[in-house]
Amino acid sequence: MTVVAEPALGDLHTVVEEVWSTFLADGNPILPADGPSEDVHWTAAITVTGAWEAQISVVLSEAAATGVGATMLAIDEATCSTADVRDALGELVNIVGGNVKSLMPGPSVLSLPLVGHGDIAPTSDLQPVRRLDLLWRGEPVVVVVHVPVQDSSTTATTT
Amino acid sequence: MKILVVDDSRVMRQIVIRTLRQSGHAGHDIVEAENGRMAFEMIAAEAPDLVLSDWNMPEMTGIDLLGALRRAGIGVPFGFVTSEGSPAMREQAEAAGASFLVAKPFTAETFDEVLTPVLGAAR
Repeated sequence: MTVVAEPALGDLHTVVEEVWSTFLADGNPILPADGPSEDVHWTAAITVTGAWEAQISVVLSEAAATGVGATMLAIDEATCSTADVRDALGELVNIVGGNVKSLMPGPSVLSLPLVGHGDIAPTSDLQPVRRLDLLWRGEPVVVVVHVPVQDSSTTATTT
Repeated sequence: MKILVVDDSRVMRQIVIRTLRQSGHAGHDIVEAENGRMAFEMIAAEAPDLVLSDWNMPEMTGIDLLGALRRAGIGVPFGFVTSEGSPAMREQAEAAGASFLVAKPFTAETFDEVLTPVLGAAR
């Protein structure tokens, strides 16, 4: 049986902060943004199937994506290639997704990550139920959790 | 000693290798594989003293790699470094013969705790 549930917003925030403070600690904390940003160009997404079903996405600006790639590889941004950015964002959403999955009912299976320059739309039966609008180095980083929702009036809870 | 680092992400292999160094376990020979199937072949050729493997990979997952190794009678010490650290996965890893499971994100201190019993004290 699939359980329709979503992680607590505070737990999602804790997971993201822990990932950032461990693998992206460059002296710039990841902070809540005042509101949604349209300046997002990269999407990394991963799906969970099984007892809990969801898509977890991390959406970033070009500058934030390059910063993630360069920081995780400990290289200069000028030498950070598109392949490096794709690899780093895939690993980033894999870690966030894996940690969120661990908080939810199981057993479930985590997919391999999908990374794209642009939007990665979830399947039509999934709706956004959790959204974190964040800033890192002043650049937007958005984390969204989509789950199957029967009630069309449900909307994402945001920071 | 020789350590095989298995992860489909080059970024994560670099982070694992960097964290090995930061945890005081520098100076070992490091070899890398991108998935379980490649790792299985490299283990026969390279005979590592320790395998640090991701769980979720294309071609062959980490848990399938561990199962294949044990069925082949290869008892190399094996630890998971994976994004999921639920009790159920830790039980599955232990039952399959893993020495430890480190959940991402991890610190150098965590690495030292699990590696010292296998590699000896940090240098």
